[in-house]
Amino acid sequence: MQQGWLSNWLVKHEVVHRSLGFDHRGIETLQIKAEDWDSIAVILYVYGYNYLRSQCAYDVAPGGSLASVYHLTRIQYGIDNPEEVCIKVFAQKDNPRIPSVFWIWRSADFQERESYDMVGIHYDNHPRLKRILMPESWIGWPLRKDYITPNFYEIQDAH
Amino acid sequence: MATTASPFLSPAKLTLQSRLPRATLARRSVRFPPARAQQQQPQVKEEEEEEAVANLPPSQDEGEQTSAARGPAQSLPRQPLAESKNMSREYGGQWLSSTTRHIRIYAAYIDPETNAFDQTQMDKLTLLLDPTDEFVWTDETCQKVYDEFQDLVDHYEGAPLSEYTLRLIGSDLEHYIRKLLYDGEIKYNMMSRVLNFSMGKPRVKFNSSQIPDVK
Repeated sequence: MQQGWLSNWLVKHEVVHRSLGFDHRGIETLQIKAEDWDSIAVILYVYGYNYLRSQCAYDVAPGGSLASVYHLTRIQYGIDNPEEVCIKVFAQKDNPRIPSVFWIWRSADFQERESYDMVGIHYDNHPRLKRILMPESWIGWPLRKDYITPNFYEIQDAH
Repeated sequence: MATTASPFLSPAKLTLQSRLPRATLARRSVRFPPARAQQQQPQVKEEEEEEAVANLPPSQDEGEQTSAARGPAQSLPRQPLAESKNMSREYGGQWLSSTTRHIRIYAAYIDPETNAFDQTQMDKLTLLLDPTDEFVWTDETCQKVYDEFQDLVDHYEGAPLSEYTLRLIGSDLEHYIRKLLYDGEIKYNMMSRVLNFSMGKPRVKFNSSQIPDVK
């Protein structure tokens, strides 16, 4: 597989990762292990990725793992096409723990809370990790593929 | 019943108190002697797991007893001196409830006459049945809903007293009311304030056996 320049740079600095190719805009996607993610996030921040554009999470497959996705951008003056990279961190469903990047990019606050709420990834070191969309007494993770919606009476037949 | 496991835990006996809409209150406000309420003593909703486990064996015995001597569900006696308590902002300004159109369940004592909302008595559940008077209720159909409510409360015994559990109970009751409606045991109140037939339009020759997921 063709490797991007960032992947080569990471290889040169002995950062453990795996390249997942490029998306439709040519942005490189890297997979990073959950136990390495907190240190590699610091490395990427020091390198210059000072903006976490979005963070999201999804369930890869029934019985599979959970993924937490980070889109990073390097914001500089006078640059038309800033460098971007996409990081995917996978976690197993039996113990989904991923280090939080809240203390590096503060914009991860609500997005990691939403990821926790919807797919149930526990972000370590997040300061207030609790449900943000669902009621706090909710049971289950609604966007997991094995989630069964409770038979609540709410959708009325009335028009 | 002496639970000394944790200090904050007041043993919340989940008991039943039923209340009816205001228009029909005088007809159905007969308070029964709390015979079945005495049998409901070990219905404990605990906040903690070990308490629930500790209370499971007597509850099974009690379940056999109640199935043997199974009477209609009876409401707890009224408390004429009840006052609204713990409703102000320093108590959070909120309450545990499950409110859908026909079923309002509150984890508190609500006085049927004065509407006093006593949040210190969270060991009781108050059921308000159809406050908007969408259906025509008789004593028998009311009693059916109360029995179902009591059965559901027994069924969810040991679950945490949370909004989620109350919502499960309330949703099952709503499905039960829909089943009653489809079976023709209750019908729409044509004199109600809004007629939007929230459980389906009235139809002829129809019952719940034709709907697979009604209950």
